[in-house]
Amino acid sequence: MSGHHPDSKTMFDSYIKVASALFVLTVLTWVAALDWVPKSWGEAGNTLHIAIGLLIAIVKAFMVFYVFMHLQFDNKFIRAFVFVPIFLFFVLTFALNVLGP
Amino acid sequence: MSSGLSLAHEPVTKVANGKLAMWIFLASEIMFFTGFFGAFIVLRNSNLELFSHSAAELTKGLALLNTFILIGSSLTMALSILNLEKGNMGKFKLFLGLTILCGFGFLIVKTIEYSTKFSHHIFPWTNVFFSFYFLMTGFHAIHVIAGMIPMTFMFIKAFTKKGYNHPVKVETLGLYWHFVDLVWIFLFPVLYLIFPAH
Repeated sequence: MSGHHPDSKTMFDSYIKVASALFVLTVLTWVAALDWVPKSWGEAGNTLHIAIGLLIAIVKAFMVFYVFMHLQFDNKFIRAFVFVPIFLFFVLTFALNVLGP
Repeated sequence: MSSGLSLAHEPVTKVANGKLAMWIFLASEIMFFTGFFGAFIVLRNSNLELFSHSAAELTKGLALLNTFILIGSSLTMALSILNLEKGNMGKFKLFLGLTILCGFGFLIVKTIEYSTKFSHHIFPWTNVFFSFYFLMTGFHAIHVIAGMIPMTFMFIKAFTKKGYNHPVKVETLGLYWHFVDLVWIFLFPVLYLIFPAH
């Protein structure tokens, strides 16, 4: 719409690439959640599991935002609408994790 | 996109009004789900034992299958828009139809998951974890259904004599559909995977 879109062949290729990456990352999320952390790590092991799971989810989210939802072409105005609530999402989740009981 | 739509009447935003409205709506949707995630984290931290035991009851395999289905539907949605813009009506209908099928597939898997829970006497009021499980996945499923209604409308219209040649409308719906996929990307690890095994 705004900005300059590449031709549809390029778009097609990037859609296929991103979808493949999303599939791979989903499998990776699954594998990372398996019980591979030594029991002796205790609570740090749980934190590691959560951190890896959410980190992969964040990477996937940005791929969807930028490629499928075309944020890579849309102007800053639109980006502001997305990034303000996303920022609040992260502040809230991290604050609640750190300040939790 | 290259739909030939004149944006002369949207001089400030340079974005089609419908698309801008969808982004504003999605911004509010992010906050809507943030509330659930925030509450979930607080309750999880104070009931870790209960949450771990309860999450172990969930069928992770079905959730993985649903993740694949939704990612696939996001891809077919993007491809249907691409083909509509190229004027490739046949492929537009094919990929839009596939997207609707993926939506149905997702809902069927979800129904199987829910009915398994019910048959194991697990209900939203069983405990606080399952309250959140049903609340979050339920709201997400409602979003899937809400996306499928206009999608089906467009699909049926595409078969009429006039056809359906509104790439911007399909693209706006696509934004919503990708967002629904996005919410699931977070729900999947948070509900099903992040709990330590017992």
